Amino acid sequence: MAKLSCAGRLWLLLFLATAGLVALFAFSPQGEGPARSSALDKGLERELARQARAAFVRELYAPVVELRDSGQPQAALLKLEELARAYPGDPFALVLRAEILREMGRVDQAIHHYARALRLNGEYLDEQGPFTRRTEIRQLVEEGLATFLPRFQAHPDNRSLAATVKEVYYLQSRLAGGCE
Amino acid sequence: MNLRDRHLWLVISAGLALGVLGALLAVWGNPENSGICVSCFLENSAGALGLHDNERMRYLRPELIGFVLGALASSLLFREFRSRGGSDPLPRFFGGIFLMVGCAVFIGCPIKLFLRLGAGDLTALSGFAGLFAGVWGGLRTMVDEVRLAPAQPRRGSGLLIPALFLLLLIFLLTGPGFLLTSAGGSATAHAPRSVSLAVGLLLGGLAQRSRLCVTGALRDALLLGRRSPLLYGLLAFALSAVLVNLGTGGFRLGFYGQPGAHTDQLWSFFGMALVGWLSVLIGGCPFRQLIKAGEGDADAGLVVMGMFVGGAVAQSWGLTATAAGVPLYGKVAVLSGFIFIFAWSLFRRDSQAC
Amino acid sequence: MTRRFLLLLLLPLFFLPGCDRLGERPKLKIGYMNCNNERETYQRFAPISSYLSEKTGAEFETVVADTHEFEERMKAGEFALVHTNSLLYIILKEAVGLKLLAAEKRGAFGTHTAGALIARKGSGIEKIEDIKGKRLIFGPMMAPSGYLAQYDLMLAAGIDPERDLAYYAIPPGAFKHEKLVYAVYFGDFDVAAAPVLDLEEMTREGKIEADDFTILAQSATYPYCTFGAAADLDPALFAKIKAALLDLGPEDTAEVDGERLKVLKTSWAEGFEDLLDSDYDGLREMARRANMPPYQSY
Repeated sequence: MAKLSCAGRLWLLLFLATAGLVALFAFSPQGEGPARSSALDKGLERELARQARAAFVRELYAPVVELRDSGQPQAALLKLEELARAYPGDPFALVLRAEILREMGRVDQAIHHYARALRLNGEYLDEQGPFTRRTEIRQLVEEGLATFLPRFQAHPDNRSLAATVKEVYYLQSRLAGGCE
Repeated sequence: MNLRDRHLWLVISAGLALGVLGALLAVWGNPENSGICVSCFLENSAGALGLHDNERMRYLRPELIGFVLGALASSLLFREFRSRGGSDPLPRFFGGIFLMVGCAVFIGCPIKLFLRLGAGDLTALSGFAGLFAGVWGGLRTMVDEVRLAPAQPRRGSGLLIPALFLLLLIFLLTGPGFLLTSAGGSATAHAPRSVSLAVGLLLGGLAQRSRLCVTGALRDALLLGRRSPLLYGLLAFALSAVLVNLGTGGFRLGFYGQPGAHTDQLWSFFGMALVGWLSVLIGGCPFRQLIKAGEGDADAGLVVMGMFVGGAVAQSWGLTATAAGVPLYGKVAVLSGFIFIFAWSLFRRDSQAC
Repeated sequence: MTRRFLLLLLLPLFFLPGCDRLGERPKLKIGYMNCNNERETYQRFAPISSYLSEKTGAEFETVVADTHEFEERMKAGEFALVHTNSLLYIILKEAVGLKLLAAEKRGAFGTHTAGALIARKGSGIEKIEDIKGKRLIFGPMMAPSGYLAQYDLMLAAGIDPERDLAYYAIPPGAFKHEKLVYAVYFGDFDVAAAPVLDLEEMTREGKIEADDFTILAQSATYPYCTFGAAADLDPALFAKIKAALLDLGPEDTAEVDGERLKVLKTSWAEGFEDLLDSDYDGLREMARRANMPPYQSY
């Protein structure tokens, strides 16, 4: 047998390795292999984790939503304070707070809390998400621009009005989309 | 401007295609004002490959695959594929990382900068000023005899990145379980996969043939003035983007409420200045690096790998700017990028001349 | 050589006239309305005075005063700045032309607050009409959140506090706000005129639970505590003080008795904001309806 040249050996090894790879894909058991099932499991795990989180958040804040819906906004705010002892800084609490404050006429505070919530978690802008607040935020932006922009234009030196208008623009920018 | 120059018309066609398709991709489903954004797409793709943990930025962007494979196909067809490399590979790798840092702080690559301007987003003006200043700075550095080592023919090296993107194409088509996809966020905003891939392939081919490059156009404008064909390609790009946006209702002139934009003008300037400067030193903007990688340039391939790492790092370390502004670490990263440029330039300069 | 030496000797003479100005820092007093007790009020607000001193170059002294003393002491020109509740701001604006500097931010409503009427859950008192013939405890009379707001709520509901209640009282001594909440909690009184901010803070601190009380009625919101400046305060100093207050952030510190303290944390505030005088109009209307100062008629 002719002795293979260096290049010939390398080509042969390349062919064998490639053939081995093809064989691996072609002949690996379908649907039962550990690699395939772990990939599926991971996807399933992620989806389960997402749904579990959504269910937990709904359950946790159900008393707040109930109080708000029954016309007890201040009691709902106090309930949020109570829950914040165990779950400080949760962005959904900020969303609920924003909604309640808006109902109570504190539009500037509603804008501020929505902006804080979105900085922490952008899912409240998703069209299809379980906690979407896209419509509410859009309405708030319209209200904010109608209320605070004229006031700021009348008092351009007022830093608090400037800060509120800036947050309205931030919400407007987030609503417009883009990579974020 | 020589109207008989075929290359000029090729460049203008590529510019027109980039502007029209870039604006249309946003209409067809890509994020607003981000029909094409190499940096955003790299961040999304890095997320899809599990390189960072931002759940809302995970999608393997077909456009990127199209750019590289389109450039590959075009270079093979016209016998322009040249496997080459060996020109300061590691600095290029880090250059790729810092390209992404600059883009992350501006929120967009140079292509997106013009798409944003074409959509009436005036906050991109400071980015344009920065990009221009950065290109000028890079040119000044090169005048001071800062040079990278010349590339050498390298058999085989130039195939690696096209092979990688071919693998990514297989991932895109087969959807393996380890490929991550966001359930919400800007990564869910995408045009149909086949459309994105087709556009990417077309633009990749056109860009490879025409050598279209945003920072290259600015560089040539500074060096050659109105004689530069790339300048006309850039103008065609910008104008066509404006016209498409006006026609589709995507044009909103103003500073405020723009999608994916912040009003921190100073750091938009610095972010794009970093991108401009680096692009001149390493021979092209992020888009051009992808095209060159497709036509066999292994050094550009390393820049691409650096950009993947940079995209992952920008997301994981919280360097990216948002509509709320630029985070402290983003600013630190940009300044670190400038330190990298200046230190590297000092090491690489021709000590006789500078 | 000798001429140069003599000139050098004479040079310091040019700077001598400025020497006595180095020690010249205007010494001004800030009157802080006594909240829970004098010592606590002083400890809360001394860092703000120190911070303003550091930022503006003036030297501010912290003075704690009772609510009823402010008008007289302002007329006497004692205070350059005051920190009071919003009702007192309105009164002093009418009386001495107090100028609005900044409003304090604290709690869910930011620069605003409200007053509520509360009853113990399960007491059978479910709505405001049920308080007729019951025992009510108010906060201090000059507290908009502990008296005025609730008085106005009752009038709006057709309840005359002077006739329709069994009786009402105001707790003596310090910490009145917490006392009235506990008074209802422990059953000494049926209804309390509770400041919403106190309910919020007591819930946050675990002193009460959200479910312990029924909120029978709540007023509209109005501005919370306010910094005001005397009408004759130097405009440049006014601008500096205002900027310093609005710039005050959570990490800012000031020195008090050799110790560096976080200003906002010590004062319990979350910051200061720039309100307009028109933001106080709602409270003015409340005071008119309730026949309270500065609109009382006899």
